[in-house]
Amino acid sequence: MKRKDRVIWIFLTLLTVALGSGSALATLGGSADSVESDRQMLSAVQHSVTPSGAYTVHEMAYNGTTVREYVSPQGIVFAIAWNGSRSPDLTTLLGSYANEYENARQNTPHRPGVRHSSIKADDVVVERWGQVNNLQGRAYAPSLIPTGVTTDEIK
Amino acid sequence: MRSNRLLPLFMLFLGLGLLSACGGGGGGGGNSGSSSSSCSTPAAIALPNGSSVTQAPANNVMTLTVNGSTCSAAFNAEYPDKPCVSVTICDGSGNNCQLIDDILLDTGDNGLRIFRQVLNSGLLSALENGSNPYECVEYGDGSTVWGQVATARVTLGNEAPVPVPIQVIGSLTSDAKSGGGHWCTSQLTSVNNAGYNGSLGLGVFAQDCGLACQNNPLNQLYFTCNGVTCSEISMATNNQVANPVASLTTDKNGVIVSLPTVPSTGAASASGYVILGIGTQANNIPSGVTAYGVNGSNHFGSFTTTFNGGVDQGFLDTGSNGIFFNYSTTKTSDGNFYAPSCTLSLSATNTGYSNAPNQGAVPFQIADANTLFGSGNNVFFNLGGPIPDNEFDWGLPFFLGRNVYIGIENTSSTINSVPVTGPFWAY
Repeated sequence: MKRKDRVIWIFLTLLTVALGSGSALATLGGSADSVESDRQMLSAVQHSVTPSGAYTVHEMAYNGTTVREYVSPQGIVFAIAWNGSRSPDLTTLLGSYANEYENARQNTPHRPGVRHSSIKADDVVVERWGQVNNLQGRAYAPSLIPTGVTTDEIK
Repeated sequence: MRSNRLLPLFMLFLGLGLLSACGGGGGGGGNSGSSSSSCSTPAAIALPNGSSVTQAPANNVMTLTVNGSTCSAAFNAEYPDKPCVSVTICDGSGNNCQLIDDILLDTGDNGLRIFRQVLNSGLLSALENGSNPYECVEYGDGSTVWGQVATARVTLGNEAPVPVPIQVIGSLTSDAKSGGGHWCTSQLTSVNNAGYNGSLGLGVFAQDCGLACQNNPLNQLYFTCNGVTCSEISMATNNQVANPVASLTTDKNGVIVSLPTVPSTGAASASGYVILGIGTQANNIPSGVTAYGVNGSNHFGSFTTTFNGGVDQGFLDTGSNGIFFNYSTTKTSDGNFYAPSCTLSLSATNTGYSNAPNQGAVPFQIADANTLFGSGNNVFFNLGGPIPDNEFDWGLPFFLGRNVYIGIENTSSTINSVPVTGPFWAY
């Protein structure tokens, strides 16, 4: 276990260095091809692909954080969820939605004490909750969610 | 394995169902947010503490108010259910001392964090040094604080000062973002931004990260900076931002957070105490409480909370100003809080981790936040809000009317004549 973890660690570190931080993940609105190439690159990592009726969940774990990507039958990443000690790099994960999210975030007032947030932009929703060292979140593009799938399933 | 064990619990709760003053609480709701006369008044929840709590002055007693004298009144409107204490901070040599109020009591974190802008110049220059490590802490809502880690002498109540690493928030000379990483976006950069002068983490751990940051340099929490370029570093537990209670001589096994009840329409403020130590002095002997073990393995601290058929990681967090959980009812327009047309009377069950595997139901109420805020009051036991799933955040409202014991990891306390090793909560 420990030894295996260490091997994975070294592998991931090298991978991260080689690819640049975060670029090993597919992006919201991106194609299944990118997930598939990620899957191959990250095959050494704890990872699962779970068909779930109307979509497929690709799960990958790295450095204390687990990221799940929800892929539609059309092969599009329509949602991403995460949990772990630290949040993943949303600028990478949100892809073309990153700027829209950042603008909406800056226009949403911080409410002290409210330790959850829901940032709604025109085409993307990013929600975060949790506690220090146990951070949770999800991002989805409402227009890309397959018919019959509810946001409750993204977690 | 775990789910098998919890199955009977599930069944029990499906059976008990959920009680609502309106009848049926799961509807999604579309009513106007205001209370109507068709609502029945929910029965009051029986709580251990009455409308006031008193403690004789002692070296281990700290005054705690919720939106009261230890809080800055300027933030009451935007920050209801805000618990504050005052702390004296000196530099590492015991000089340049300063009493600072409006310090958020945050049982969801461990260690003291102070905005640099509130420190006097002598204290600031004694603490800050470009060669100090830096830290980025992220909260549940995605907001972060960034700043140097420096050793200060911290005085809690009238205890002897203890030297502990603290975080000086807002050091501007370096920034983790400059290192090319994505860390520490959404920073709270000022007192006005955060809504407090600092925060005092009196949770169940001795440090804010523990072995994970000692063993893993890629912890994304601790950094070293050269100029404006920062990179992650491992940090020995001894050098991590530390819960100052764990460094006390006698009263180091935990704290009691003691707060009174408030009316269902709220109160302008509430006054209580943080009592240091558990069973170490005549004024902190546990009475009438049950211990619930906390899973400390991931260093966030949670037990199991079962609600509405779901099993969540539950935690007690005075730094959250509502009970945040997943439920289907009307929300305030900003989506931050619940606003049911009739007050909801609900119940969840907490189950302790293996070091104290007790189980108990917690009745709670959720009122219309718009009505609560419209009252002009600041302190509410029935304020709640939505999070999508997986967690059950027992925020400050849970603490009103209770004595909550917070047992620190690797220390022992006696609860109901039984020794319990922290981390645990008891109430």
